[in-house]
Amino acid sequence: MKKLKVDWSKCTGCRMCEVACSLHHLENIINPKRSRIRVLIEDDTFIPIIAGPFTEAECTTKRIVVIDSKEYDACDLCPASCPVRPIFKEPDVDIALKCDFCGEPPDPDCVKWCDTEALTFVEVS
Amino acid sequence: MDGWVGRILRVDLSQGDYTVEDLDPDLAMDYIGARGLGAKILYDEVDPKVDALSPENKLIFATGPLTATGAPTGARYTVSAKSPLTGAISFSIGGDYFGAELKFAGYDVLIIEGKSPEPVYISIIDDEIQLLPALHLWGKTVSETVDAMRAVMNEPWEARDTHIASIGPAGEKLVKFAAIMQNKAGGLTRCGLGAVMGSKNLKAIAVRGRKAVSIADADSFKEAVSAVLDKWKKDPVMQWFTGSGTPPGFMMGNEGGYLATRNSQTGVFEGAQGYTDELLDRATVKTRTCFACPVHCKRVCISPDPKFEGKVDGLQFETLALLGSNCGIDSIFAIITANDICNELGFDTMSAGRTIGCAMELFERGFLPEGDIGFKLNFGNTEAVFELLRQIGMRQGFGDVLAEGAYELAQRCGHPELFMGVKKLEMSGYECRVLQGMGLGYATSPRGADHARAFTLMYEVFPPPEQRMDPSVTEGKAAMVKKLQDITTVFDSCGLCLFALTTPVPIGQEEELLGLLEAATGAGFTLDSMMLAGERAWNLERIFNLKAGFTKEDDTLPRRMLEEPMPEGPAKGQVCRLDEMLPEYYQLRGWDNNGVPTAEKLAELGLEGEL
Repeated sequence: MKKLKVDWSKCTGCRMCEVACSLHHLENIINPKRSRIRVLIEDDTFIPIIAGPFTEAECTTKRIVVIDSKEYDACDLCPASCPVRPIFKEPDVDIALKCDFCGEPPDPDCVKWCDTEALTFVEVS
Repeated sequence: MDGWVGRILRVDLSQGDYTVEDLDPDLAMDYIGARGLGAKILYDEVDPKVDALSPENKLIFATGPLTATGAPTGARYTVSAKSPLTGAISFSIGGDYFGAELKFAGYDVLIIEGKSPEPVYISIIDDEIQLLPALHLWGKTVSETVDAMRAVMNEPWEARDTHIASIGPAGEKLVKFAAIMQNKAGGLTRCGLGAVMGSKNLKAIAVRGRKAVSIADADSFKEAVSAVLDKWKKDPVMQWFTGSGTPPGFMMGNEGGYLATRNSQTGVFEGAQGYTDELLDRATVKTRTCFACPVHCKRVCISPDPKFEGKVDGLQFETLALLGSNCGIDSIFAIITANDICNELGFDTMSAGRTIGCAMELFERGFLPEGDIGFKLNFGNTEAVFELLRQIGMRQGFGDVLAEGAYELAQRCGHPELFMGVKKLEMSGYECRVLQGMGLGYATSPRGADHARAFTLMYEVFPPPEQRMDPSVTEGKAAMVKKLQDITTVFDSCGLCLFALTTPVPIGQEEELLGLLEAATGAGFTLDSMMLAGERAWNLERIFNLKAGFTKEDDTLPRRMLEEPMPEGPAKGQVCRLDEMLPEYYQLRGWDNNGVPTAEKLAELGLEGEL
């Protein structure tokens, strides 16, 4: 099967994935805050995060992740749509957003516009 | 509206109040957005004779209809104001994420007027507009400011999604070439608009939005975007820029003999080996880019030589040329430190490099005594450059003099001919004794000696030999420069970067751009109306400058470019033959012999009665 592979070290922060996602799901609308992929920007580190399942409750994780010698609260990198964070939710109405890999068979639009190949759609056994 | 979001936010700092206005669709058709729209608003609302640092001057942050749409390079926005450095109309151009976020908050344009009694910053979160005290931020460097502003935002994603335009100490202290910086990654550096922000007691603007930009014809738009992305992957010049940015232009300029060296005394630099691609790559940690830009031209650089501290997000050619060869500095690693100082204190590396280079020549020729500076200032003195940059940003010591710019420095020392610039704006790093078209571009750009309003390398350097215009020839350059200026104005007004215009043989971009613009806006642009909008804005900028007191005498170049033959290199013996190009240029522009638009031209542009 194919999986969406994220290599954050190749991401340069253009956010075309957010645009592509928005245009795919919202037809003629560009709104990154409604995208199912977001790029976390911390100075010059760019980490694409793809929306996963909704969780009903705030979790109790107490983890720190180190990327590029900078520390992140694991919560910031979490793909879940959850009650305590603003991302992966429709603004105002709070409906959870989840990546559906663009159709059947999956063919994600975000990958098509990722010029640096930070996002690839690859066959895994 | 599609493409545009249709709203203008106006903040009055004197009253501490704001209003939201509709964007007039007719105005949007006539001036498109960003640079063109900014020029129109400035022209309508600000007296060209006003003191640029008075409350009567305004700052117009303007996005274009393609900003934030995903059109490749569509991150751009402009800030227009009367320049405190030049006294002319100015527009500084930004990228990163600020302009896109302004549209996501629901505004095409942000107009800032008046002057706050106390230091403030503007917070824009969708419809929630606040003026907040900034006394605690005053005096902070750019990265300290950004960190302090984000630190008080409790939600980490919201903090990171908030994009900040700020000034450093240089803007607060009204350094004439102070910049407006965006987050911690580069700025809107030319023409001193950071000083205009400082004069208004405005430390920063923070913006975050949850709104949408809509596209008129999404299918056509997606197709047009994909076509551009595919084309660039096959284009040799785009591939040369992609991931590299402009720094490799340093060695190219040196080989071509047009690299500004030692205050443009020559065009080849004996220390160029300190700037090879190999050294550049050693310093490059990674590359980054602006919103929706596949060029990712911004090299994040840290010096591998521990002698030189600091870090730069986006080292570029102009900085290397003007702080480097132009000051006789032979190490690219030293320029990382120098650039970092400029970014943190918040001022233009280009004007700074030119001003220090000018001071160095004045010193070496005995026109500027050591006692005035406090130390010897020969070309190549790296430590002196670092020290003067720190002094400029804080307006301390001799830096207080340099903070007025190279024009004022050369005047002060009694040698105005050693100022390398036009209309008081310091010249870019390309030598115009070699590139004749560039010379005409420098002489006629509304904001002063500016390489990027007619980037003639697209005709004079990049194309394969059989399609290239000989840089040393003046024939045909007037028409080329005029055409390039008009199309550049259109790109600047749409919200796209100059990179989107830069290909080895510049044909077809107009059609490509029209396709994107029409798919996004559906507003009914034609090739003619789009190009006319560019020419209209160019002429309106000209009219602003004429009303500000500029004349054809200001459409000139430093005496060195016109009279002193290039001493060495491939272009040895050449001067810029501006007089062979300028009259033809005026004629093609529909301007009279004094460089004033004729009544017929004004009528053609719908600018009747403006003069």
